[in-house]
Amino acid sequence: MSSRLERLFNLTAALLSTSRPLTREELHERVPGYPADDAKGSARRAFERDKEALRDMGIPLAVEEVERDGTLIEAYRIPRDQYALRDPGLEADELAALHLAGAAVRLEGLRGTEALWKLGGVPGEADSGAEAGALAAIPTIPELVPLFVAVSERRTVTFRYRGEGREVEPHRLSFTRGHWYLDGHDRDRRARRQFRLDRLESEVALGPAGAFERPADVRSASTPPWQMGEEALVEATLRIDAHLAGWGVDQLGQETVTAHHPDGSVEVALTVTNREAFRSFVLGFLDHAEVLGPPELRDDLISWLDALAG
Amino acid sequence: MARPSAPERLRRLLAVVPWVVARDGPTLDEVCSRFGLSQAELVADLDLVFLCGVHPFTPDSLIDVEVADGRVWIRYADYLERPLRLTPEEGLALVAAGTAALTVPGSDPEGPLARGLTKLAAVLGVDPTVDFDVELGAAPAGVLETLRDAVSARRQVEIDYYTYGRDQRSRRLVDPHDVFAAEGQWYLRAWCHLAEAHRRFRLDRIGSLTMLARTFEVGTTRATGGRSRTIFEPDPHDPRVVLDLEPKARWVAERYPLESLEELGNGRCRIALAVSERAWLERLLLRLGPAATVVEGADGVAGAAARRVLSVYARRTGEAAH
Repeated sequence: MSSRLERLFNLTAALLSTSRPLTREELHERVPGYPADDAKGSARRAFERDKEALRDMGIPLAVEEVERDGTLIEAYRIPRDQYALRDPGLEADELAALHLAGAAVRLEGLRGTEALWKLGGVPGEADSGAEAGALAAIPTIPELVPLFVAVSERRTVTFRYRGEGREVEPHRLSFTRGHWYLDGHDRDRRARRQFRLDRLESEVALGPAGAFERPADVRSASTPPWQMGEEALVEATLRIDAHLAGWGVDQLGQETVTAHHPDGSVEVALTVTNREAFRSFVLGFLDHAEVLGPPELRDDLISWLDALAG
Repeated sequence: MARPSAPERLRRLLAVVPWVVARDGPTLDEVCSRFGLSQAELVADLDLVFLCGVHPFTPDSLIDVEVADGRVWIRYADYLERPLRLTPEEGLALVAAGTAALTVPGSDPEGPLARGLTKLAAVLGVDPTVDFDVELGAAPAGVLETLRDAVSARRQVEIDYYTYGRDQRSRRLVDPHDVFAAEGQWYLRAWCHLAEAHRRFRLDRIGSLTMLARTFEVGTTRATGGRSRTIFEPDPHDPRVVLDLEPKARWVAERYPLESLEELGNGRCRIALAVSERAWLERLLLRLGPAATVVEGADGVAGAAARRVLSVYARRTGEAAH
């Protein structure tokens, strides 16, 4: 009696090597190890389980209808061109570096080990650094995999977000500040939008491949919250005192600094299109920052605080 | 370790066979180390492949496996000359890990990882520099590299640290154990000599640091609580604060660990949370404003904080009046 592994291996070999699709009965003849076709349908059930196992592994199993004795029945094969990995032509040091990256950055819930096997396993020179252990763990969500397919194959996606259905041309996936985002073109709103993926309200449905052109300028996901709005644009000036100047500048970038004062404080200029997010950001500094202008934003903050001061 | 299931072993075999087919007799040792197999597992798998092939299973339709002098050859498996394509999940995992590792300060933007990632992404149809971006977190220039060096050399470090929750700066001597990124931030886990306890430090709050010549012993101060990387660990002895949240402040209930949550209807809710640091609570209440009402445990906190911040504005408004 042959093992299930042997049966699965022979089934894969039969489906890959055949030039025409094979019916289940033909496969039972060609692949040893299936139980006899009894009244309980044992052979059929075993075959269904095997098909499922192959599909789970990502093997492309093509199903076609063929005529046998005047009726149409299903027949199967694995198209070799769809099965085979296109050789990326990795050098040994490149494969080793990918292995190390996979060991250093763990994507929670995603399988990556088999991918390296397919690329040629772990070359010897990768061993040295691997014991350093994981450097980072990145959370994932189930919708990330179909969205990755959609971005790479330029398929439109539909999903619910903030209570509404959306149809989006997905341009870019990014992980920043601890969350996954999708940047894309919202077809109904005819505008670029960013979606936070843990706030999707449905599964993602994919449209056909090659449905849109990639734009030349894909917006960066590092957009700060105070620029994630559509209010009239204002240029805000913020003073951060010496106590938090270094930390503030690290967060905002040197390019925002407009003045360094002798007392160690700095002035930064920020473009604001979301006043609420800006207020929230400034309040994070407590009494170590002050909105210098424009008066509109300064007054907004003062009246907000006045209401709380009682 | 549990014996892998048949589909698990098949996944590996479908990678091992093409790799061996493409080579002229690699050693069994090399196959084992590349694919994470023991010699016994590899031999069992090769024995099985030897019995496999295609109908009618005559000698010329069986796969030929030859093992001699510690080397292995596989022939007559031309339908298995290429490995199975990557699944989208595998492609995503590799591209995301590679992209993320490239953003780690100190990595070579033109090194083997960058080159390998570009080749791999081309096969998958993505451009890792345009379609995909993973930021592990901000760390001031040099801090991450220095800390990683200190961790591996087991040297003590002196840091100037800003404690966000208490709004205080302090100089601390630490024994650095581990540097890692989680939830979009870089962290250092260390024994802090000032606190005389294990502490987690956010790298973006380290103002400056100096690696000392002095080394430390790992066994003596390393955390005993395992390698948990939970970022927010409320202490049950922390004071408890009860807040009523308006619907627009609902994110608070989703973001922080709660002791209790009670629905009040119309999207409002009452939450209880443990708060150890006053400055943290001040920021939260100032940001929420009228969207939160203090029920218990934080009387006057928001008002006092608001008056303190307003005093900054009063100074300058006063100056302007002169």
